[in-house]
Amino acid sequence: MDDYIRPVDSAYSVRTDRIVTLLFAFLCFVCFLPVLLVFIVSFSSQQSVTQEGYSFFPNSFSLEAYRYLVASGVYLAGALGNSVLITLSATIVGLILMCPMAYSLSRTEYRLRNALLVFIMIPMLFSGGLVSNYMVYTQIFHLQNTYIALIVPGLCSTWYILIMRNYFRESVPDSLIEAAKLDGCSHFKILTRIVLPLSKPVIMTVAVFQIFLYWNSWYPSLLYIDSNHTELYPLQYVLVNMNRSIDTITRDAQYFSGMQSYTPPAVTIRMAMVVVVILPVMLLFPFFQRFLKTGMAVGSVKG
Amino acid sequence: MFKRKKPKQHAGFRKETWQLTLLAVPAAVWYCLFCYLPMFGVVFAFKNFKARPGEGLFKNLFVNSPWVGLDNFSFLIRSSDMPDIMFNTLFYNVVFLITGIVIPVFLAILLTEVHGRTFSGMVQMILLLPYFLSWVIVGYCLYGFLATDEGQINHVLKIFGAQAVQWYQSPQYWRGILIGIGIWKSMGYSMIIYMCAITAIDRSLYESAALDGAGFFDRVFNITLPQLRTTITTIFILNIGSILTSDFGLFYQVPLDSNSLQPVTQTLDVYVYKALMQQANFSYSSAASFLQSSVGCLLLIISYLIINRMNRDDA
Repeated sequence: MDDYIRPVDSAYSVRTDRIVTLLFAFLCFVCFLPVLLVFIVSFSSQQSVTQEGYSFFPNSFSLEAYRYLVASGVYLAGALGNSVLITLSATIVGLILMCPMAYSLSRTEYRLRNALLVFIMIPMLFSGGLVSNYMVYTQIFHLQNTYIALIVPGLCSTWYILIMRNYFRESVPDSLIEAAKLDGCSHFKILTRIVLPLSKPVIMTVAVFQIFLYWNSWYPSLLYIDSNHTELYPLQYVLVNMNRSIDTITRDAQYFSGMQSYTPPAVTIRMAMVVVVILPVMLLFPFFQRFLKTGMAVGSVKG
Repeated sequence: MFKRKKPKQHAGFRKETWQLTLLAVPAAVWYCLFCYLPMFGVVFAFKNFKARPGEGLFKNLFVNSPWVGLDNFSFLIRSSDMPDIMFNTLFYNVVFLITGIVIPVFLAILLTEVHGRTFSGMVQMILLLPYFLSWVIVGYCLYGFLATDEGQINHVLKIFGAQAVQWYQSPQYWRGILIGIGIWKSMGYSMIIYMCAITAIDRSLYESAALDGAGFFDRVFNITLPQLRTTITTIFILNIGSILTSDFGLFYQVPLDSNSLQPVTQTLDVYVYKALMQQANFSYSSAASFLQSSVGCLLLIISYLIINRMNRDDA
């Protein structure tokens, strides 16, 4: 995968290479700029923001915004807890559902394989649409204002099942499975003892995609959680309701620690909250990146 | 011996099928409950939905609500903001369809030839980052630049003595902004997909081309692009299938749901959401989303057939 072209093969002369390198450095800079701005602003002082706006070069720094976030405590910690809970449980349950399905589909001797394949492909082509999803969730399963409503949508994805199926089929030697069968292993045992331990890379890939998907999800909360249930809000949805969240946070902070002498730095609190949400993504990203690339490579080849 | 073995194998097959089916059941149940069950909801689009309190959804939908045929669709199409909505949806999708292929392919070709490997890895990582930020985050990052009082851009404008712009009230800029943000977010991801496809190309092709005196552009147009054709067409087909579907977050959350921006930001998805959640207009909302998924499904199949045919003719 990482077999990029050595300088010898490269079509670039040294000069072209410098120009292209510069171009990409600039592109990276542009890509990173908005995130950088948010970071800097979250550490700027209130006074600096009122004078200079959200600036890359604030004239004074302060941790005021973070002091508020910490002091308000419960509200944000609760949201963080919700996000973590939803992300972890969705990832784990999703894998528990998808792995066995992918395994069944990967076995050529399985007779219902093609029927099952069509069964999971149809939802890729056609869906009932928002209204009926909403009605089914709220009126048949009564999931509004529950964690389940935030976890269930997107738990399985045909795309990931197919990626896993391809990996199981190509990377786990068939002879191994045949041998296990001769020894009297059931398929469940083959899956848990042989196939899954051999397929860690693809499982990690799917897990990482799911983690990012759920960490970033806010649409289900928009649909299914009403404003009387703020205790169920995940972090992303706290951000969607930014103005109300800032009110709650400053009120709580002032209540708990008596910071009443001046106006709360709403403009920097806003950005500090964004940082709280981005930070885990930024920290985990370098570790996760190689798994992401495996998945994308499989996706691109199999299309 | 043959006679004795056959029935045994048959029994073994049965047991295997049974076991494998059992393994597939949990996911299949999920598919039934959350993908197939909502599919009956296409009926909403052809009914005038009237809910009587205290009665089940199915009774309300199938018994209590009268059939209205295609009325929902004709009302929907005749409603005053529909032309704008349809135009926006198609406009942004066509733009993203083109830029989403041209720019990443261009960047992927440029980046694969860069000498520094570590540099290339760093670039990929940084360009990929926006893809894994949610639209909510992207919305606030943009807010840092565009906020009327504190925004970085208005601040710079002030330094140059220009008038501050009320960005969130000025629809004329937002087509450009939304397209830019859309490209910014997905560029790295698509680029890496194409890079993976490029690294899968047989290196000896390039070597022999270089021996024959082919320059960089000859190689790109005669080797890289033709080899990327499968990947490009696959992604093209998939995107054609969502021609009426737009990224809800981009058009709802990034403009912070500003009312004065609606003429340029409202797409079908935003309409479907608003008709359902803000106006509780089940019929229009479901008619619109039925339109989305059926048109998408049709286009997907048609373009798949056409491209399949073209490939066969070429071969």
